[in-house]
Amino acid sequence: MDARGAVIEEASPGLGARRQSAQRIGATAVLVAIAYYVGASAGFILGLPPSTPSVLWLPNAILTATLLLTPVKRWWIYLLAAFPAHVAAKFGAPLPPVLVLALFATNCSEALVAAACVRRFSDAPTRFDTLRRVAVFIGGAVLIAPFVSSFADAAVVSELKQAPYWLVWRTRFIANALTELTLVPAIVGVVTARSSWGPETPLRRYIEAGLLALAMTTVGAVIMEGLVHGPSAIPGAPYTPLVTLLPFILWAAVRFGPGGASLSLLCTVLLAIVVSVHGRPAAAAMPSADSVTALQILLFVVAIPFMCLAAVFDERRRSNEALADRLRFEELLVRLSSTFVHLPSREVETALETSVAQLGEFLGLDRVTLYRLSREAGEEFAIAYTWSAPRVRPLPRVSPRRDFPWIHAQLLRERPVGFSHPGELPPEASTDAETFRQRGIRSNLSIPMVAGGRILGTLAFVTLTVERAWPDELVQRLRLIGEVFANALAQQENEDTVRASELMKSAILASLKSDVAVLDREGVIVTVNDGWMRFERENGGTPEACVGSSYLDAWRHAADKDVPHAAEALAGTQAVLDRSSASFALEYACRESGYERWFAISVVPLNVPGGGAVVSRSEITERKRAELEVQLSRQELAHFSRVSMMGELTASLAHELNQPLTGILANAQAALRFLDATPPDLSEIRAILSDIVDDDKRAGEVIRRLRGLLRKEDVRFRALDLNVLIRDVAKLLTSDAVIRNIAVRLELAPDPVLVSGDSVQLQQVVLNLLLNAMESMAECAEDGRSITVRSENTDVDAVHVSVQDAGTGFHQGTQHLVFEPFYTTKPSGMGMGLAISKSIIEAHGGLIWAEDNSIAGATFHFSLPTAGARSE
Amino acid sequence: MTNDGVIVAVIDDDPSVRRGLSRLFRSKGYRVETYASARGFLERGDYARLACLVLDVRMPGQTGLDLQDVLTVGGHDLPIVFITGHGDVPLEVRALQAGAVDVLAKPFDDETLFSAVERAVAKNRAVRTLGERR
Repeated sequence: MDARGAVIEEASPGLGARRQSAQRIGATAVLVAIAYYVGASAGFILGLPPSTPSVLWLPNAILTATLLLTPVKRWWIYLLAAFPAHVAAKFGAPLPPVLVLALFATNCSEALVAAACVRRFSDAPTRFDTLRRVAVFIGGAVLIAPFVSSFADAAVVSELKQAPYWLVWRTRFIANALTELTLVPAIVGVVTARSSWGPETPLRRYIEAGLLALAMTTVGAVIMEGLVHGPSAIPGAPYTPLVTLLPFILWAAVRFGPGGASLSLLCTVLLAIVVSVHGRPAAAAMPSADSVTALQILLFVVAIPFMCLAAVFDERRRSNEALADRLRFEELLVRLSSTFVHLPSREVETALETSVAQLGEFLGLDRVTLYRLSREAGEEFAIAYTWSAPRVRPLPRVSPRRDFPWIHAQLLRERPVGFSHPGELPPEASTDAETFRQRGIRSNLSIPMVAGGRILGTLAFVTLTVERAWPDELVQRLRLIGEVFANALAQQENEDTVRASELMKSAILASLKSDVAVLDREGVIVTVNDGWMRFERENGGTPEACVGSSYLDAWRHAADKDVPHAAEALAGTQAVLDRSSASFALEYACRESGYERWFAISVVPLNVPGGGAVVSRSEITERKRAELEVQLSRQELAHFSRVSMMGELTASLAHELNQPLTGILANAQAALRFLDATPPDLSEIRAILSDIVDDDKRAGEVIRRLRGLLRKEDVRFRALDLNVLIRDVAKLLTSDAVIRNIAVRLELAPDPVLVSGDSVQLQQVVLNLLLNAMESMAECAEDGRSITVRSENTDVDAVHVSVQDAGTGFHQGTQHLVFEPFYTTKPSGMGMGLAISKSIIEAHGGLIWAEDNSIAGATFHFSLPTAGARSE
Repeated sequence: MTNDGVIVAVIDDDPSVRRGLSRLFRSKGYRVETYASARGFLERGDYARLACLVLDVRMPGQTGLDLQDVLTVGGHDLPIVFITGHGDVPLEVRALQAGAVDVLAKPFDDETLFSAVERAVAKNRAVRTLGERR
């Protein structure tokens, strides 16, 4: 990991664990006492009589190691625990109690000074793996502490045992410095070895350590053997343990760091001291005490560089490892980034899941979660993928907006949030901090995932057991990862959108009731919907009508076979494809085995760069049939209406027919009488006969008009003069008008008023308007009853007819209602006359309307297109 | 009995009807005057020379019944035979109550017409005789 300590494990391991139980403290205290007793006993054994100070005084170093490994607030417990051991160890020696007490005080003071110095100046008091840490240790624990405490010790010893002060001071200082130097790192190293020697340590490391231990033991045993049984079989071979063991110390320093170096140094020193104190001084010519002092200094001088060497090697190794870690992380970044380049969207999910797990494993975290921002759910982050380390309970349900409001807001502003423990969060994030505590989250880092300037989600990195720092460098890298993920998500969203819109398009195409075909610029069918395919299948499945064939060719073949409308369809479709026409629509009939089917096609341009068109075809046989039925029923209704109008005219018509009949009868009977005379007046009879013929013709004319109105035949459009038509209708009504005492005035245009229309229907309209006008005046004074019918050619392509009466007019605001079906003011009326008139005029492409006159009565108007001006 | 010198006036807006009736009366020996409207008849005046009036009920302008009223008000006791194109019972009753000799529905047989006119002429003659005796 990062050399700057991305992973911070400041918490004291082992003895210093925060929640150490009282039981463990007690056990530790007992252990300290035993170690102290053993160390003190060993120190006595290594004593160099007659001087009091031992050659290798172990208890002080044991105390120093204890104080380094335990929290300051519990130091008194362990110092207190060591006291009985001290007393017990001194029990056998003939020492006054004051001296025993004083010695314990100086021992404690040395350990306290050593531990205080190291704790004060070292960034990691229990580690000796950098040159700085080793230097602090040597300065504080190895030099200053024995140096200072030895003054008191020497004073006490020289006072109580009358020993030479400086000799005592010197002996103690050298012995204790050597012990601190070799024993403290060894003890601390062994106790803290748990963190560096675990199940993950490769087997070869154990084998190597075993080999080293075996080699040192063997060499040590050989040396001991040589010392016990006299000079070596090999003349001239060195028997100084230091020299013999030097290669092994080097091996340990290089391969096993300060811990290994201090352990091997300790063994060497013990061996050397044992040999020099108790062995036969075969190789030493010097007096015993002096030679021991020399050996101590030699060991001391050798040990210091070895310790430093081990620290430097360790430092170098760790920085190499950190570098390698960093490289691996960079590799991971590159791998993740490259994974998502050109990744198909269906694989993005799997890749994200894998990547989240890889990140979590690599960073040694407990949980990594990828949330996606859901804008539909109100800017809420929803869990997309989560990875948890083995034995970590799965992620509980979470609503970041509710549970982590402050972080949620920060993330929306694209700011990452990280903390080593929830206490680092600002006061305004109290809800967030509380949630983290409830969920047992120690450290958390939340990274916004941003792509294309918008936030798509967040990555949350979590530790549950250890506190962890999030250096800026790491945050920056993880932001990069976040961007890579976000881009993948954005890409996936885009592809999903495209796919959804394609699905939507094909679903819409399939759901259309019409048969739809899409043509390219050349008129070749590119795609068709289900309806089109079904139609082709049901109608013989001509392969040329399906995808890949030319729609134009299909019409061309039909046109060659003189199919009606085929040429028109061909030209219209071609025009749309050429962009010379904005759209084309056609209704056509297909006659197959005596059954007529109607179709409507519409062709519209396809608004894509390549051009083309969309043809939609639907069968309209039903609609056509309904239209015909409506037309028929309208004709029926119109006819019925005419017949009922005739009923109203019966009296008038009877009069109209009675007149000529009366004339004919009178004339004929007169003629018979003239024939009886002698001679018959032939000229008179001729005149009579001529009158009879005229009357007969007149009666026939009435019958003709009547029959014309009552005729029930298909609507036929012809050019006709409205003036003639109006005069005819007026004549039919003459008698009626006379009976009702109404003056009917015709103010017709001097020129023919030509329209294209059905004469029967238009007569019906005029007749209806005239009858209405007459009825409107039924309750008016007789002398004011008049109707004026006007016709005019208003402009080039329209004519206008009005029927003005002097009747009661409309009730206020009912003008528009009179044309509604079943609207009537007459007690006996059906209310259909004007509605039918309206439908007739509109079928002729005209307009009909009504208005009140300024003085009295109402005027009905209709306008029609001039003959030839009608668009149809 | 001869009809010489007896004058019948015919008022009808229809020229053909007028001519036909005129011919019938002439063939029977009557003298005939025809008018197209009540107004024309009234303008001519001198009703005493007439023996009978054959009058159309419905005409543009003044109707036959209007004319009957005018004559009654003017004290001219001229027998009237109405002719009408409509079988209109209230109208018939009204005319008869006002003193009409008969109401004939168009078209009518010549004998029916002559019978009614003869009754009218007789009535007229009786009225005159009565008048002369006084």
